[in-house]
Amino acid sequence: MKKLCISAIACFLYSSGAFGAGFQLNLQGLRQLAMANTGTAWAWDASSIFYNPGAVSRLEGMQVYGAVNFVMPSVKYVQTPTGGYSAETKAQTFTPFNLYFGGTLKKHNKIGVGIGVYTPFGSGTKWDDNWQGRYINRNISLQSFFVQPTVSYKINELVSVGAGFIYAFGNVKIEQALPVQFATGADSKGTLEGNANGVGFNLGVHVKATEKIQLGLTYRSQVKMKVDDGNATFVVPSSLTANFPNTNFSTKLNLPDVITFGVGYKVNTKLIILADLEYTGWKVYDSLVFDYKTNTSSLADTRTPRLYQSVMAIRLGANYQIMKSLSVSAGAAYDPTPVRDGYVSPELPDANRYVGTVGASFSPMKKITIMAALEFVTSDKRDATFLPANFSGKYQSTAFTGGVGFAYHF
Amino acid sequence: MKKIYIVGLATLSLAACKPNLEPASPSKGDADFTTYVSVGNSLTAGYADGTLYRSGQQSSYPSMLAAQFKLVGGGEFKQPLLPGEAGYPGLKRVLGYSTGCDGVTALGPVLYSGTLDTTGSSANIAAGGPYNNVGVPGIRCIDYTTAGYALFNPYAARFFTSPFEKAVTQATKINATFFSMWLGANDVLGYATSGGNGAVSGTGQSDISPLATFTSVYNSVVDSMTARGAKGVLINIPDVTSIPYFTTIPAKGLVLRQGQADSLSAAYAPLGITFTAGANYFIIQDAAAPGGMRKIHDGEYIILTTPSDSLKCAGWGSRKPIPKNYVLSADEVTNVKDATAAFNNVIAAAGAAHNLPVVDMNAYLKTISSGTIFNGVTFNATFVSGGAFSLDGVHLTPRGYALAANYILLTINNKYHSTIPMVDVNKYSGVRFP
Repeated sequence: MKKLCISAIACFLYSSGAFGAGFQLNLQGLRQLAMANTGTAWAWDASSIFYNPGAVSRLEGMQVYGAVNFVMPSVKYVQTPTGGYSAETKAQTFTPFNLYFGGTLKKHNKIGVGIGVYTPFGSGTKWDDNWQGRYINRNISLQSFFVQPTVSYKINELVSVGAGFIYAFGNVKIEQALPVQFATGADSKGTLEGNANGVGFNLGVHVKATEKIQLGLTYRSQVKMKVDDGNATFVVPSSLTANFPNTNFSTKLNLPDVITFGVGYKVNTKLIILADLEYTGWKVYDSLVFDYKTNTSSLADTRTPRLYQSVMAIRLGANYQIMKSLSVSAGAAYDPTPVRDGYVSPELPDANRYVGTVGASFSPMKKITIMAALEFVTSDKRDATFLPANFSGKYQSTAFTGGVGFAYHF
Repeated sequence: MKKIYIVGLATLSLAACKPNLEPASPSKGDADFTTYVSVGNSLTAGYADGTLYRSGQQSSYPSMLAAQFKLVGGGEFKQPLLPGEAGYPGLKRVLGYSTGCDGVTALGPVLYSGTLDTTGSSANIAAGGPYNNVGVPGIRCIDYTTAGYALFNPYAARFFTSPFEKAVTQATKINATFFSMWLGANDVLGYATSGGNGAVSGTGQSDISPLATFTSVYNSVVDSMTARGAKGVLINIPDVTSIPYFTTIPAKGLVLRQGQADSLSAAYAPLGITFTAGANYFIIQDAAAPGGMRKIHDGEYIILTTPSDSLKCAGWGSRKPIPKNYVLSADEVTNVKDATAAFNNVIAAAGAAHNLPVVDMNAYLKTISSGTIFNGVTFNATFVSGGAFSLDGVHLTPRGYALAANYILLTINNKYHSTIPMVDVNKYSGVRFP
């Protein structure tokens, strides 16, 4: 009779927020970062391969460009309704990078070509092993790399267009405690680890309306990242190993499409002001399905609602040319959250974000530019519940990013 | 100079990068939690897995409440702790493997076979008191003002100053500023766990306590607890018919092959009882039925302590009826529910009369039984895997007690305008697996 009960243990795996909004990295170029990630309307350098493929044919000659960022995110959780318990994520540094090679093969050529490698999504959250929300998430990390070969054509002085094909690959690792305890009182553990890949494209139009005004419009498509043979591994008491077999899993994570419209205005020979409106189609991310190859009474496939909403971010930046070899930049942005109330999970708790940036670029000699940027992001203090796990709390997240890079103009 | 300035700026900016979210400081509101006393039975003592043991006591809901009260000025909370983990007086149950009469080895509750660390368990520790947690496993409301009760209860005997001391005297030894009182469950539980064989209004261990006695004793205990101005909280008693002790063995749990069904149908032909292949209702004893036996109905319960070997190999429930002391029949279920409702009315009236909030634990445990999720952990009334009920099917796991503690805190905060933080439920254990 009594053995009946054992089979009924169902441990829901919440692992689901991967590729959530907080994982979007707006760090694909240092000048752009220094101006709160504006840049659709301005052809600064080879990073236009990402920011506006249409502007690549505006570049004068070929460039090689490399940058690395050091991202230090931090999240604090305070239990609600009455506090008393709080937790902070462990300090981690992530290093998304970007490499571009592209431009026009000759000066004043109508055709621009290029290839870029960049990391538009990635980050991680690591909580203490015994923290209160460990059955929802203990550790999540995500990396993605986009490779984008690009062509660009300058139709005339006014309009240029460009297109890039995107091959994306990456990996995801999620670890959570399972609420099944060993005789010692220790928790069980589940780990999901997998490689993902997908394809997409990046389209752009660049308009040089007047000597003072430039416009840009880009569309970066959805990228459906597929994880096919991910590994699900479980550390459980020996009496339950049959319930939690190590198995493979598959899932699909849809990275949203992004439409950006940008305006650039050259106030005078020294000052340029840029503004971008960025619409991210998070709506595609309405639920997440995990399909385990071996199902047991304890390990069922999961379908978690996410119900993200699409959002519009506003970005403003300015660049001031102090002298011929040195310019400084600053910017500010507002990034509204795509995550609705009831779906804010501790994997990467999302809230409206405020961004402030500064940076400088310096050309010690004609062909070389050295760039640096700093970004600080802070979120609203958000009182939220993750309904699928009935986990409530107040969150605030911040991130500090420093980036350095160089460009060489052939 | 310039360098120092830059370093200073960098440090400043890094410090500003951290979230500055801070919890509001807790407040005690209108109550005074300096000295807390918990009145109750086994649930209050921290009883679990069929017995009392040290870590269970340390995970009692009153000790959790006391830890939270400390955040708003609460003081020391003394419990009459046992020396060991094995259980007193009986051994605790743990999950383990046992082989049944049918040769099948399965995981289930077995008696603890670890170190016997029970030396000194029976020693009287009244000298170390008085104790804040005066929960006595087994005690009924109607026992609370009985002198000499400790002569018959080994748990009371351990920490009562004298065996002739009344429980209420022990409870008022400490001049409490705040008390909780979860009393009365045993006034109906003894009847239910013995299969409803006792009297509906009697004072025997398997009787339902007389309502009049319950009412007068309950009110006198509340009077005593509040006599010196203490504030507190009353907790009502759960309807026990939704706990695993009664719900684990299904009424329709007799699984038969065609041949078995045919031969049983033939044997029971004189009584007009038939069986089919697949799941059938168990046969139970019922003096009022023809031949003194009948099929059990939905809404009637076979208790958890029914010997499983007798069910599996001795033909209980099939060739022989399950004896009535293992079955709670429909009438008996009604008696249990009626008594629970009547006692809860007394508790509600006492709360209203003394301006004390009443925690509707009856309703809350029903939500746990029907399935609830909290901080990523699912709870239900499934035996062993449900997480909230310990291996005796009646008492809670530490995690289950933590849920109860939080529910009590919600009521306290609501009534006394306090903001005492909730207990970290996930800090405590559920059922542990080998």
